[in-house]
Amino acid sequence: MPIMTKHSLRHGLNMLLMAGLLTVLCGCWDIKDINHRALPIAMGLENNDGGYKIYLLIPQKTQGREETKVVTGTGPTINDIIDQIGKNMEMQVDLLHLKVVVFERGIAERGLGDSVSSFMRSRFIPPKTIVAVTDENLEHLFDHLKSTSTTSGLEIYNYFGKNAGWSPQVAQTRVWQIFRSLGSYTHDVVIPIIKTGRTTTLDSTGSAVIKNGKMVGRINSDETLLYNAFNGISTQGKIEVMNHASVMIVSESLRHHTSFEGKQAVLNSRLTLKVTILETKGAPDAVVINRELNELLTARFNRMFRKIQSEKADILGLGQFFRTRIPRDRLKDWRTDYYPGMQLNLKVNTIIQDDGLLKLKA
Amino acid sequence: MDKSLQVMVMYLLVHIGLIYFTYPMDIIASLDVGHWSAILLGYASHVALIGIYLKGLSYFGDRSVIEIFLGAGKMLAVILLLPVAIYFLVVMTITVRAYSEIVTLIFLANTPLWAIMALLLAVTAFISALGVEALFRTALLVAVLFLPVLLLVFCLSFQNADWRYIFPLMDKKTAALSFVISRPFLLSQFAFTGGFLFMGFIPPYVHYNRRSLMWTSTLLLPLFLISVYVPLLTFGESTASRFQFPFIAAVDTVDVSWLMFDRVTMFFLISLIGFVLIFLSLLLWKTTLLFRRGFSFVRPVPAVLLLTLVMFIVCLQIPDWSSIERWLWWNSFLRLYVVTVIPVATLVLGMRHVRREAACP
Repeated sequence: MPIMTKHSLRHGLNMLLMAGLLTVLCGCWDIKDINHRALPIAMGLENNDGGYKIYLLIPQKTQGREETKVVTGTGPTINDIIDQIGKNMEMQVDLLHLKVVVFERGIAERGLGDSVSSFMRSRFIPPKTIVAVTDENLEHLFDHLKSTSTTSGLEIYNYFGKNAGWSPQVAQTRVWQIFRSLGSYTHDVVIPIIKTGRTTTLDSTGSAVIKNGKMVGRINSDETLLYNAFNGISTQGKIEVMNHASVMIVSESLRHHTSFEGKQAVLNSRLTLKVTILETKGAPDAVVINRELNELLTARFNRMFRKIQSEKADILGLGQFFRTRIPRDRLKDWRTDYYPGMQLNLKVNTIIQDDGLLKLKA
Repeated sequence: MDKSLQVMVMYLLVHIGLIYFTYPMDIIASLDVGHWSAILLGYASHVALIGIYLKGLSYFGDRSVIEIFLGAGKMLAVILLLPVAIYFLVVMTITVRAYSEIVTLIFLANTPLWAIMALLLAVTAFISALGVEALFRTALLVAVLFLPVLLLVFCLSFQNADWRYIFPLMDKKTAALSFVISRPFLLSQFAFTGGFLFMGFIPPYVHYNRRSLMWTSTLLLPLFLISVYVPLLTFGESTASRFQFPFIAAVDTVDVSWLMFDRVTMFFLISLIGFVLIFLSLLLWKTTLLFRRGFSFVRPVPAVLLLTLVMFIVCLQIPDWSSIERWLWWNSFLRLYVVTVIPVATLVLGMRHVRREAACP
């Protein structure tokens, strides 16, 4: 029989204590297994007598089969509805991996401020969730998403995924960006507008202009491409030039110069696009394509700018360029005092980087 | 043996653990424009205090502040060290309570507070009971494990920065330094002054090169700037001021598709909690040292357990976040006293010590 010395006894006790610590140190409390959690991919919010109706698109994997489920609930607040849905479901609803929130247009027009602020406060939805707006009935949209899905509802996520189906004609806006625009003096946002596609899962129909959390207008897909170009994210965007050609944007760069003429803010911008030619009709030469492209883009941009300027929504964040020129206490009047009368001179300069594998007419 | 590396690492970890939670909020609340001036001011006073403290300590070679003050008279030692002991205890209590609240707010929503506090305190007590050398080695290990992760998160956190938010750089309030006596600014100094007193407690146990420590402090400046400017650049001042933890909110917006993990925030937070544990263990070790000076009949391990138990009970009595903030505010007066008086007293005693040596060698 081994002799228990005082030392080995203490050693043993220490070991026991450490083993005991291990059981508490794993930090698990009220743990719910992953297969007892419902992880929705998309959430839809619809107006319902002043409250909300929520749609959740939940992928499910049962015995190798991939299925998608749509769960709905109604109530006065978002949290209340999620709670109810959780109560009625056999699983815990966990929105931590939510990818897309779709708002019905009515809610967007009424204001996203409350819902976005509550997302940011409670952290139950990640701030980098993508936001979209739809014109149509959410029930129809979610049914369509469910019935056409072949990848357990991931379509809507891939649609906006930069590494998947996103294209530069679609805006990509996240919850935190809307939250930032709520508090910002100089920065509004746009939100992509989607609807069910006839042959594809989704169709994009432009973007909603959001000012102080409220939808005040819309821009179309071509204008969204310019919006993205202005923010430096339009690479691979394609543009039809009149009837002569279509080109693809390879890269873009922007230079700005701000000044004040009396009380009028003036921004001189120069957008340089490098393009490559994809398609031609007839035999246009490079000079014609260049000139037409510049005229087209300038006209299109000016039309968009006049539209958003009349809505007093600064989606391009132009006020940002004047932060050094306007004192901070006046900056909060940017949208009312400076922006509507602001002058923006955009010069588009396109460089045809190459004309593909075929030569243009000299 | 020279353990400068360990001391430098400890110095960094202790501060990183404190910077990223409440510091950005306080700095953003204390100013509308030109936050860099508040950061620089706090940093300059931090470096000055460390300089004075280290200079004072250098006169005594291998003696800790406790020995130094005792050498100058028992009465003086009590007057100087009693507030320090109280300060340490209060800081530990607040930190444990505040960080467990942060943990529940940010990632463990279902776990009761007492369990988190008990875990934090248990780990703290365990590390500090193992002694100061084990504590410094643990710090080194934690740094090797977590600093690369933090570095990655810092790089990624600039993903959504809009550099134009940096303007305007100055206004009247910034230039007049009128924020200095404002409450949020005084509260923010917690991040600067929470940790550095340990340098005076370790000399007989851990040896280090004072000059290298001064150099390490320059590494902190970019970290402080990042903590405030990343949220400012991401959200803009008016939105960033609405967050309870602005830096964490800014890290939450980072989206990287090539990383297999969805949220980098979790890595960041868990690393920081690790650093805070090291900070707490260090504080507990120092407090035990002070405690055993007064009550030398208590053996080290029971002393640690006793202090931990007291703190746990006090922690349970703090009901909500607003009382934590109240505690923090009251504590900032004690902190101002402790972090200015101790370094200055060390320097004065040091100079007297040198003069006396010169008079009768």
